[in-house]
Parts: sequence; C-alpha cells; structure tokens
Amino acid sequence: MDRYDRLFAPLRLGPVLLPNRVVFAAHLTNYAEDGLPTARHAAYYAARAAGGAGLVVVEESSIDPGDRPYEKLIRGFDPAVVPGYRAITDAVHAAGAVVLAQVNHNGGQSDGTHTRTPVDAPSPVPDPLFREVPRELDAAGIARLVAGYADVAARCVAGGFDGVEVQGSQSSLVRQFLSRATNRRTDGYGGRPEHRARFLVEVLTAVREALGPGRALGVRLAGDEGVDGGTTLDEAVATARLLARGGLVDYVSTTVGVATATLERVIPPMTTPPGYARYVSAAIRAAVDVPVIGVGRFLSPAQAERSLADGDCDLVGVVRGQIADPRFAVKARTGRAADIRTCLGCNQECVGRVGLNRPLGCVTNPRAGRETLLPAPSRRRRVLVVGGGPAGMRTAATAAQRGHEVTLLEASAQTGGSIRLAAAAPGRDGLRPLVDDLAAECARAGVTVRTGVHATAATVRAHRPDVVVLATGARPVRPAWAGTADRVVDVRDVLAGRADPRGAVLVVDDLGSAAAPSVAELLAGRGCAVELVTAAMVVGQDLGLTLDRPAWRRRAAALGIRESPDRLVQGISGRVVRLLHHPTGAEETREADWVVVALPAAPDDALSGELRDAGLAVHRVGDCLAPRRASAATLDGDRLGLAL
Amino acid sequence: MLFGPHETNLGRRRALSERHVAYYARRAAGGCGIVVTETASVHPSDWPYERAPLAADCGPGWAAVVAACRPHGALVLAGLGHTGGQGSSAYTQAALWAPSPVPDVATREVPAEMGQPEVDALVDGFRAAATTAVTAGVDGVEVDAGARSLLRQFASGLTNTRTDAYGTDRLLLLRRVLAAIRAELGAGRVLALRLSCDEEAPWAGITPSAAVAVAAELAPLVDLLVVVRGSGLATSSYRPDGHTPPGFNTGLTRAVRAAAGGTPVALQGSVVDVPDAQRALDDGVADAVEMTRAQIADADLVTKARSGLPVRPCTLCNQACQVRDVRNPLVSCVADPGSGHETEDPDPRNGLRGHGGHSGLGWGVVVAGGGPAGLEAARVLAAAGVEVSLVERSDRLGGALHLVAALPGRARFTDLAAWLAGECARLGVRVRFGADGARDADVVATGGRPRPLAGACVVSAADVLAGAELSPGPVVVHDPAGGPVGVGVAELLAASGRPVTVVTPDEVVGVRLAGDLAPANTRLLRAGVRREPGRVLRSVDGGGAVLADRWTGAEVRVPCAVLVDAGPGLPGDVPPGALPAGDVVAPRTVLEAVLEGRRAAHAVLAGRRRGQAGDGRA
Repeated sequence: MDRYDRLFAPLRLGPVLLPNRVVFAAHLTNYAEDGLPTARHAAYYAARAAGGAGLVVVEESSIDPGDRPYEKLIRGFDPAVVPGYRAITDAVHAAGAVVLAQVNHNGGQSDGTHTRTPVDAPSPVPDPLFREVPRELDAAGIARLVAGYADVAARCVAGGFDGVEVQGSQSSLVRQFLSRATNRRTDGYGGRPEHRARFLVEVLTAVREALGPGRALGVRLAGDEGVDGGTTLDEAVATARLLARGGLVDYVSTTVGVATATLERVIPPMTTPPGYARYVSAAIRAAVDVPVIGVGRFLSPAQAERSLADGDCDLVGVVRGQIADPRFAVKARTGRAADIRTCLGCNQECVGRVGLNRPLGCVTNPRAGRETLLPAPSRRRRVLVVGGGPAGMRTAATAAQRGHEVTLLEASAQTGGSIRLAAAAPGRDGLRPLVDDLAAECARAGVTVRTGVHATAATVRAHRPDVVVLATGARPVRPAWAGTADRVVDVRDVLAGRADPRGAVLVVDDLGSAAAPSVAELLAGRGCAVELVTAAMVVGQDLGLTLDRPAWRRRAAALGIRESPDRLVQGISGRVVRLLHHPTGAEETREADWVVVALPAAPDDALSGELRDAGLAVHRVGDCLAPRRASAATLDGDRLGLAL
Repeated sequence: MLFGPHETNLGRRRALSERHVAYYARRAAGGCGIVVTETASVHPSDWPYERAPLAADCGPGWAAVVAACRPHGALVLAGLGHTGGQGSSAYTQAALWAPSPVPDVATREVPAEMGQPEVDALVDGFRAAATTAVTAGVDGVEVDAGARSLLRQFASGLTNTRTDAYGTDRLLLLRRVLAAIRAELGAGRVLALRLSCDEEAPWAGITPSAAVAVAAELAPLVDLLVVVRGSGLATSSYRPDGHTPPGFNTGLTRAVRAAAGGTPVALQGSVVDVPDAQRALDDGVADAVEMTRAQIADADLVTKARSGLPVRPCTLCNQACQVRDVRNPLVSCVADPGSGHETEDPDPRNGLRGHGGHSGLGWGVVVAGGGPAGLEAARVLAAAGVEVSLVERSDRLGGALHLVAALPGRARFTDLAAWLAGECARLGVRVRFGADGARDADVVATGGRPRPLAGACVVSAADVLAGAELSPGPVVVHDPAGGPVGVGVAELLAASGRPVTVVTPDEVVGVRLAGDLAPANTRLLRAGVRREPGRVLRSVDGGGAVLADRWTGAEVRVPCAVLVDAGPGLPGDVPPGALPAGDVVAPRTVLEAVLEGRRAAHAVLAGRRRGQAGDGRA
C-alpha cells in the first residue's frame, strides 16, 4: 500500500492547523443565486471536506458592487451573505477541514453588463475578453476598494471562515496593478515593482487588521501570465518575496495564466501534461518562508506526493481531481488510491459550463454539484442493461449501488463503447479513465457484466428482467451526397481500424466536436495530406469551450492540416469532391483519395420497439435516446439509476 | 398595436417577475393595444434559456400583468410555446424533443424523436398552460409557431421527416394544439397564432406560397394571425437589424391576409415608424401592426403618435434588446436605457417635474458636449423645467452618433441624434456651437480622446467614419474589438473599391456581432474582403503589414497602404467638480452615454454637483 506520508502530514498556515496538504482550491461554480451562497455550495464543499481535503478555499466573493463580470458572483459586500457563509463553514468544519474564503475584485476583467456602471482598473486598458475601456481608479477609489476588502474579510470572519485568501491571480484587480501589461500609472501605484505592489500591500494590511488574531491570510499570485508585457515568473517571485518578508501573508497560492487571455494555461486541457505548472510554485517556494500551494493537473495522489517530495510546493491544489472524485484524499489515505475516479481533463462540464454562466458539473462524476445521498430502492429489482458504453455502465453502477440486481450485456469484447474509440485519437486518450473507472465501479458495485453478448429480444426476455435499460449507442449515418462512393467513411471507421485512408484526405466536420479535428490529426500523423472542411465558420467550434483550441492549432499547423470553413460538401464523383462556399455561392472542387466524415449519428434503438411490444418496461439512455456528448450519457445513466 | 413576445431575462427563475409587470405596464400605459407576454414553455422538456418562463410557474405573473395593464385598456395575451430541437439541453440536461432527429444548425445537437406519449404530453402542456392563463384572467393566448418553435418544426419539411400521421399531415399537431386551447379558452378570449410564413429555405422549408395555403387552413381556427419569418436556418431573419429594410414582411403579410378569410392578420418585421404602420393598415396589408422594438425604444409611442409628439426612434441596432445570451443581460435599449429597468430607474413621467426651473434651482445648468450623453442630460434637465445651456465644440449636435450612423445598416442613429436635438430645441435648451465649455460646465460629456496611433499610415476607424482622406492603396482594418465598427469600416472601404483585409485575434471576424455575425461575414466575403482571423498585428511599414498567427507565431505579410485601427479610444479629461457622462468617463457604446447623461441630469436635479455620474452608487 502506498502511504503518501507527505500528503497527509499536518501543516500550519499561520495560526491555523491543516490536517493534511490536499487543497480544494478556489474556482468558479455558478452555484450562487441572487449573489448569495446556496445550500448547493455547502453540500459541494462539504463533500470534498468529508472526502478528506485538508483545506477548502471557497470561490471568490466580490468586495464591490461595481464588480460583476458574471451573473452568479457571490456578493461579499452584501451583509446578506453571512448565513450562506455560515452554512458552508459549518458543513466543512463538521467534516474536519479548514475553510477559507477567497476575496476579490475583478477590476478591468469585467464589463458593465450587470452593473450598468463603468469598470474600475489601474489604467484604461481594455481587457482582451470583456473589451470594455475601464475608468482609471483615482486615490479615493483605491482607498474605497481597500476598505471594501477589509469589510468583506470581517464579514468572512462573521461567517465562520478560518481566514481569507486575496486573489491576485487569474482575474483580479490586484494582478492588474501588479502587471505592467495593465498598469500604466505614473503615480505611487505604478512604475517600479514595489509601487505596482502597493495596492496589494495596502489590501493585505487592511485585511489582516480586519481578520484579527487566529485567522489565516493568504494570497494567490499569477506566476506567469503568458501575455505580451505581462508578469513574468521572476516578477511574481519578487512580489511573493516582498509579501512574505513583510510578514503580510501566511501562505502563497499560485496559478499560471490570465483567465481572460490565456485560460488554457489556468485550466489546461487533457493534452497538457500534469506538473506543467510546477516551475511556478517551485520558484516561489525557493524564495519565501511561508507555505506555497502548487497547482496544475494533479491527477493522482502519487503525483501529488512526488511534487511535495521534490520540493515543488508545500500543499497541492487539486480542483478538477476532487470535482471528479470528492473522496480523492480519503481514498489515498486509506489505501484505495486505485479506486479514485480520475479527472479526464476534458473541460466539458466544469470550464465549459461555467464559461456559459451555467452551474459547474463533471462528465465522469455526474453527481458533482448534486451531492445527494443515494435513495434506497423501494424494492430490489432485476435490472438488465443492454450496452456497456458510458450510459449503460453509469446506469448499471448507480442502480447496483442502490441495491438492485444488475446485469449488463455488451455486444463487443470490451466495455467502453464509443469512448474507447474516441480515446484512440491523438490527444484524446485522457477520455479513457471515464470508461475504465466506470468498469471498475460496476465491478465493485456487483454488476454482472457479460461481454460478447449480442442482445436480442429473446435474450432479454430469457433474462426475465423487471426493467430493461437500452444503452446501445448510435450508428454512423452515411451522408446523402456520398451516393455509392466507396471511399467515403465515418470517423468511427477510421478509429476502429475498419478504414485506413491514405493520400489526400478530406475530413468533413459537421459536429464541431473533437471528433473531426482529432481524426484529422491522426491521419496527418500517418502522412496523409489532410484538409478539414466545415459548413461552420470555424472547424471544431467546441474546442474553444474546452480550451483545446490553442494547442490543437499548433499541432495542426505543425502537421500541415488545412482548414476550410464556410463550405458544404455537394457531391463526389471519383476522386473529385464538389464543395459549395455557401456565403458567396462559389463552387469549388477538391481531389481526394478518401473522404472522412464526422456527422450526427443515428440512435441504435432497434430493440426498443420490439421489447415494448413484448410488454417490457424499457428505458433508453445516452446516444440510443439521442446521440449527444459523453456528459449526457453519464447524466442520463445516473438519473435513471437513481430513479429505478 | 401589438407589443410582441420577446426574451427579456426579466424573470425570476422561470416565473414572470415584478420587473416583467412594470415593463409591460409601462407599454400599456403608453397606449399599446395588445401586450403579448414573453413566450412561456408549455412543458418542462423545454427550457431554451435560463430565465425562459415556464407556463406552470406563470399564473401569478400573468395575473399581475393583467392587473397592471388592464386599467390602461390594453389586452394581455399569454405567449405560449415550445422550442423543440431549437431549445437547449443545458438546463434540463436531458434530450431535446423534436419531430425528427434533425440537429439544429446552431447547436448541432441531435434531438430525440418524439413518440406518441411525448406528442400527447405536448398537447396536454398547451392545454394546461391555457387553463393557467385563463385562471390568471388573461384576454387570450398567443401560440408560437414562429422562427424558434416546435410547432413550426412539425409543420416544416426541413425538420419533420416522420412517416406517421404527424409526418403525412404536418399541420395535424398544430390543429390538435389549437383545438385543445380553444376548448380551454371558451368564448370571449382571443386565440392568436404566430406563424412563420417563410423559412428562407425553399428546398424543403415553408415557402411564402405554401404559407398562404397553411394560413387558409389555420385562419378559421384562430382570432389573430401574426405573420413572421425565420427558421432554424434563418433565426436572425425574425427581428433583423438595420441591414434589413424595415417592413420586410409587407408583401408576405398582404398575401396571407388575402387567404385568411377575414381572420385579422398582424404585420410584424422591423416596423419601427408610426407612418409605416398607419400605411400598412390603410393599404390593407394588415389589420394590426406589431411594433415591439419601437415600443422598447419609446414606451409612449402610441400616446405620442396620437398627440403628434415626436417618438424616440428605434435604431434597429439590436444591441441591447436581443438578449438570447448566456450571460442573461436584461432587455434594454440604447436609445432608452431605462427600458427593462422600470422598477429601479426613476420614471421619467414622475418626480422630475416641479423642480421649479431656473427659479427653483436658483441657477441655470451648463452641459458641455452635444453627443448622446450631453443631449440626453440637457433633454432630461429641460424636461424637468431647468434652464439649460449646451455648449458644443463642433458646428452640429449628435457627436459620435454621426460616426455610428456612417456605418452600413446604422443610418437610424442619425434619427436618434435628430430626435435628441429636436427634443432639446422643443424644450428650450440653448445651444452654443464652436465653444469648449467643459471648464465651467455642470455636466461634462465631451467624449473620449483618440488613442495615440503608431505610424504615419495609421488612421482610426473614427477618422474614416468622419470622412478623413486616405492615401490610395490597399487597406488593413485591425479589429481587436469584434463589434460593428471594424466590420462596418471594412465594408465601407471595400464598397469604395479598395482591396481590404480585416485582421483580428479572434477565431472569427466580428465575434461580438451576435445576430449579425453570420450575415456580416457573408457581406464581407461577397464584397471580396480578405479575412485574417486568429492573427495579431506585428508591424506596418511602407506597403505592408506583418501579421502573426496567434497560436503558432507564423508570420504573413499582407499589402497595406493604410492601416485602420478599429480599437476603442481613451477616456477624456474631466475638470474637477463636474459630473462626467459617456465616453469622457470611458469610451463605450451609445447606451452608456445616454444612461450616464440621464443620470447626470438626475444628479443635478437632486442637487449633487460632484462625483461621477457614471457611478450609480455615488
């Protein structure tokens, strides 16, 4: 059994003692309603605390009514937040963890959409995402905001927090003051590094005063902004040193990147290797004598333990890892690290939903943000699940965990369904833990899994189930324009090895997901000359939402993949593919040896009607109901599993 | 006169809120004849946007809207619908319902094909929603078969490929729904139908000629037919911006009315000027006219038209009133930013008068700057009886509104400038041209400063719009903003015969254009404009601009004799003690200018002369 001694060694943050080094670091959830924390927040954080996290840092509370970059920001300046704070802190404390509040002002990384007022910033430099010219803060404005930080800190104490963390990182006025890219001031708050740090020093001093004794005060700094003229690692180290030497903070937390410019560095996609951000915490740790929190895709306790052993950091910020499995820490501590449900780094439901003003979720953990107890079934039923993809396995695992007698039939030799196929593409192997972990969960829950069984109505009836769940997925659809052309194949054919295109390949993206881009990459890597065609304005629209685009663009450029948006395929004869450039109506042709299509699939629900006619209770989940993303599969499955 | 159903984000969860009530009541008070409330989903399977009303939650809200509107004589119809495959699964996190598994082009999500149980549940949903609405006391309901509706999806060959009775008779579901609702409404209540009569996809969609036959079949079942256009392939055709001429449904509506057998028909579609509405009625185009955006811009449109007062014009910019946006912005208007904020902003009809004018305040008020912020400040002050003098540096009023109006499709911003100037004149504001009065002004609305430009061949978009003479040769428009300015300037220059390239770090050109995004890119491509998305401008020199790929850093050189910078300017200088408003605080849009001009006026009326007008908290 691995022991992870360092990970589970207690640590003091100033006056506060942490039971271990696992941190559930601050991140946006969109769980607030009317600017107030909710019961959903409390349950969410408490689940991670009960799951063994030593420190929970609650998502940002804003210190000023003029700061509202997104609708569901917690209004820390509003005295009405205290009961919500209290519900969170009581729940986390009851589970044995320490809980801090992050306090913040987003400065120019905002606009007036929700406030109907100008945004405040060090200088009138528009943010690359929000694009609104800010108003330059004057001395009175600065003093008002410093007092606002202190006021909210005092409210956090009243709400039962063990201290606060001042955000000076990915989206903050503090960072804008620290960074030359956004601070063009010529007064005492701009210019030399210690002048740019003056606002932060004033904030920390005021917050410390407001916290009083016995509470911890930390700061989160952006180590390396990755933007032109932005804060470099050396500058961040110098700032951390200044703060630590002055005794202003009890710890330093770290990030890489800027939320509104280089978010793919803050919350990297699955292609970014774990440990990508260790250089930041390591450099800061070498310069300060207070504990440092490192971040950056800690996927396993072993990796976290190694980072502590290597001196990268004193604590590990595991956010997505604990979204995916709230019991990450306790499983590590009790020798069950192998049972941890691993974060995929897919960014679909966490980053992807939060960026769209929706509550945070998780593909692999459909219960994230829905931390409810499993209701016991009213009576034990025989459940037969047909199909061992993510929807079928999730249904089976949840139903079995509730005490049902569950059998799962899978036609192929292995469970995993379309996920196993998708994971075969370059850069997509991060998806694999979704189905590996589900298979393990089914096994632990006592699901009888029979592979290589092609279910028919007769097989199903012979099983004498009380309930039948169809999770038989979807099948590729041949495009109408393809006619009888034999070298038009689906991305699934390529991934499954049923087709092996060579030469000039046209990949047609009608989905906008990772399917077409990743298969294009696969084929280009095999030496094909690949052109990606889509009717949309950009190829692979969804890559933007999951923050995969920057790295994909670089890989595609290196592989020489050509992108042709705004084009519809009209037909094919021999090697000649006819395209329509739909904005102008211009007709074009391409010579291609193969055409690979990524099209909406059709539900494979042939059994459904037959079983219903036989009088069986039939449910459909996942793609066999409507072909959608993996998140729909796991959520359909969990919801049905809970309802049976 | 109809105030048509539209997304507002004014709701509280999925119920209508007190904001809705105030918003509709304000239009009823302004003389609107029929208010159709924001379309409510008739079944929980439909949750197209976070604040989309759900009929089951709307009973108290409908009752409150009725109570608030009826005293003004307006009828209230409850908008009912289901967006089917054009909805969103983000909030239900369940499969979408649709006649056939045809993905919507915008979301690309494959919906689940409805079986008979779902079809029956939908009909029951319409019936139950009608019952709730009747109980709430509404004057009737309007059923949505428009540009974003499941009922249209059933009616159209684009989205209905079924082989059952609902496929062979594509109007069957609509007839079932209308019959079910009629049974609930009983006598004395109105049943209206919003029907897309042109899906703009003639290969399989509803065409105008087919729509005439559909209308003939359905008209006897309803009391009012609202003729609209649009589909999943043409969502922005429903309420398009100023690039589409007003009144575009006139011919379509005339044809439908001829087939409607006497059932009243309403004209919809960018009808924004009262004379146009009157002409449609006089000419027999329609029996009623929907003026939704016009009444967002001026809630008093009907009463003003009756009494011959000038109406605050809708600019057809769609900037603040089209709120199908995940951030949940509240419906509002650049011309009247108080729209949608009726519960929080001062009501212009109360409280501002009686300040006593010159004698009451003891002094006259000086406003510096005759752009939208200054004009609005002067207008509001003068309307409250204050003696106002306005000082304008140039020789005409309107300021940046004229630059905006120079953009293609935005000519109506000139109408807004003219209306503001006209109101100021009507209310007795004294205007002094050619003077810079900021130093002694009470309200300073003198606009922003230009950002310093890097290089001799660089001009700002504002200069181009102001008519600056450019050196001959190819133009590169650098657009870090993604709004209407960069695209519009590129269109203007291309139309003048120059080779034009648009450069943006964004993935697409005009990324912030919302409904005009795809149309704008189509216009650029048709005009031969070269688009360079995902590029950062590195340098400009004699004859060329160097662009770097944002992700790989790879550089390309494009011909460039003139570089147009479409980025925003800088804030202006505010003398100590003055109330600033608009771009002088920070260059933003017309909405902020008008809003802050208004707030500055209110601050003066409240006796405050210091602080920042932009700051509602001051």
